[in-house]
Amino acid sequence: MEFKDYYATLGVSESSSPEEIKKAYRKLARKYHPDISKETGAEAKFKDVGEAYEVLKDPEKREEYDQIRSYGQRRDGSFEPPPGWESASNFSRGGYTEADAGQFSDFFESIFGGRARHGHHRQGAGFGRTMHMRGGDVHARLALFLEEAYNGCEKKIQFDVTEPDAAGGMKLRHKTLNVKIPAGMTSGQHIRLKGQGSPGIGGAPAGDLFIEIELAPHPLFALDGRNLVLTLPVAPWEAALGASIKVPTLGSAVTVKIPKGSSSGQKLRLKGKGLQGKTPGDLMVILQVAQPKHHSEKAEELYRQLAKVESSFNPRSRLGV
Amino acid sequence: MSKHTQWVDVGTLEQTTFTLSEICDHSELHAEFVIKLVNYGVIAPVTGDDARTWSFDLPALTRLQKAQRLQRDLRVNLPGLAVSLDLLDDIDALRREVDNLHQRLRQLMQE
Repeated sequence: MEFKDYYATLGVSESSSPEEIKKAYRKLARKYHPDISKETGAEAKFKDVGEAYEVLKDPEKREEYDQIRSYGQRRDGSFEPPPGWESASNFSRGGYTEADAGQFSDFFESIFGGRARHGHHRQGAGFGRTMHMRGGDVHARLALFLEEAYNGCEKKIQFDVTEPDAAGGMKLRHKTLNVKIPAGMTSGQHIRLKGQGSPGIGGAPAGDLFIEIELAPHPLFALDGRNLVLTLPVAPWEAALGASIKVPTLGSAVTVKIPKGSSSGQKLRLKGKGLQGKTPGDLMVILQVAQPKHHSEKAEELYRQLAKVESSFNPRSRLGV
Repeated sequence: MSKHTQWVDVGTLEQTTFTLSEICDHSELHAEFVIKLVNYGVIAPVTGDDARTWSFDLPALTRLQKAQRLQRDLRVNLPGLAVSLDLLDDIDALRREVDNLHQRLRQLMQE
């Protein structure tokens, strides 16, 4: 088991006052709150910070922790509690506070005993009272490729639910679910799976599973709401003369007519070729005139002729030069 | 897990709405608190003129749950919740826009 240095987690020292500890906790809780921070690992850090504060804010637990800390960790950083160690706070018998910590670490449990309750309101369950409690909702994130979002897909989702254990506490259970994602979901949208969250207690209904969709960036298509945006390179002569060109979409490729005299930045709208939904999005094609890297002698000669014919054209007239 | 894989369908997603009591049930909140959040403009019902006929959509529920977490974990008060959630939404939208612009910029530079 890994030793947890709660003082280091909060960036305080053993001599810090309760006020300093509270201040450090508040600052870090704001910083790493999973609803605020998009940093990877923010949720784990938020939990660590919460666990550290749970111990250090309570004078009794803090004193016990200080004892453990001076007893020390092993050289390899691992930790076992001293033989015969028993916490006075007896966490498993209702010493829990209002913090909804989910699960604290093994280290925490080895010192303060028992399993942390997932939410203090579930506590009556172990004392023979008849409890009716709707199961908790579970939130999960799901990353999709744009193609998957466009076509709809089948995904395996893994998450943890809390359920009562034999001892009347709560335990985590890993759950795997196969979900059919409908076509046209986009970043930030939620899916609700009724009754797939944590089971209810005493015959009460189960909670729901909420899945937030996050789309991975695509090499060709950018997303603008439900519209897809594609930058389409065209040859100078295609732009000048107009052309029918093949354009990739997330479905099959389509042929698009480029109007005569087009230039870079010009937009074409392919209706209904964006993400599906009640109001399907469009595919916005932005033209970009591209040049071959090298021109042949012949082509250079043709350009020289073109320059003579079009000598009155000043592409920089707007710049005043 | 059983041998037979069970697929869960999420077809009728957009029709999901919740009454005030259902939304309270989901978030284990008092109706008074939800009503206050509506009055502060933190969430808005999609239909209904008074609290008894309100119905909320899924984004309202997830927003409410976010508000609840922020209140519980960070002790944010009501006006603070309204401001935080609006700012978080703005940040989300800006982040997405920046990602998209970056991507389009990369495409333009690729030539």
